[in-house]
Amino acid sequence: MTGLGSSVREFLLAFADDEHLMGQQHTEWIGVAPFLEEDLAFSSIAQDELGHAAALYAIVAGDGDPVDNDLRIDELAFRPSPDDWRCAQLVEVASDDWAHALVRHWLYDSAEQLRWEQVAQSSLIPLAEAAARAEREERYHRRHADGLLDVLLPAADSAERLQAALADLLPLAIGIFDPVAGEAEVVATGVASAPFDTRLDEWKDRVRHRFDFDPDRIEPMAPTGRLVRHPDFGPLLVRMREVIDLDPAAVW
Amino acid sequence: MRRYEVFLKKDGRDEFRHAGSLDAPDDELALVLARESYARRAEGDRLWLVDRENVILGDLEFIAPNSDKPHRHNDGRAIAEHRRNTREGGA
Repeated sequence: MTGLGSSVREFLLAFADDEHLMGQQHTEWIGVAPFLEEDLAFSSIAQDELGHAAALYAIVAGDGDPVDNDLRIDELAFRPSPDDWRCAQLVEVASDDWAHALVRHWLYDSAEQLRWEQVAQSSLIPLAEAAARAEREERYHRRHADGLLDVLLPAADSAERLQAALADLLPLAIGIFDPVAGEAEVVATGVASAPFDTRLDEWKDRVRHRFDFDPDRIEPMAPTGRLVRHPDFGPLLVRMREVIDLDPAAVW
Repeated sequence: MRRYEVFLKKDGRDEFRHAGSLDAPDDELALVLARESYARRAEGDRLWLVDRENVILGDLEFIAPNSDKPHRHNDGRAIAEHRRNTREGGA
């Protein structure tokens, strides 16, 4: 592999940024999840997502040949300018409510499964390898989210809160399927098997089945090509860069 | 919530050992949560979960009385001495 090209690079950055921010958002529940065992489980899931992000950044940093334990990964993962990020607003929005965090976890991971499937046979071998590893971990994530929803959705009080969170998050969640510019080239070179939004209907069926709610009743946010950040992103980036900004030249 | 007792084993090594317990609303969540509570650092690769309701208890009054029977603790010393004496007497 000699050089990724800008379309593949953007495609990988979008995926990596989503994984990175999803992991980051989950870590905000460390120590304050509803009970101890859930704290451990959710922290593990956060760690897995950060691991996926690192694997994807490593491919970008090495221009197709993954680097290992390299500062270039951090440089990518903590880009200072919000304009340089390619994440979906679903993972940018702040959440201080457990029902909200749980619904986002389910919405994100149900789409993430389809997203890894799109690159499981990738012509970019390190990406296909990352997909195989990620799926082993994602099986746990989905069982965790479904296990909790199986218990909480039939109860009136929790169902009400979960459905409210769903209505709030769905317009942003559909944005996960919003492609970066150049996705056609990513598909043409076999890096991904098809445009990601070819899986959108399948994902909506999952939502329908899980929440007994038709996602087509919600007006999705207008596609931005992942170029517009949610208002919550700025403060999140400041928190994420808190340590690196103390001494940008420090060697870890 | 139900209370579950957690047992772990490493394949081909050791027997199942009690690792601890946890509370969960059903069997599925108990499994999901037990994995990260007790096996997150690969402490085991097989897991038993037992609903505490299904544990058959042997209580103190019934089980403990055997603690005052030192004659059941045969360390072999008396037998060894007897055999030594017999051997020496026969030589």
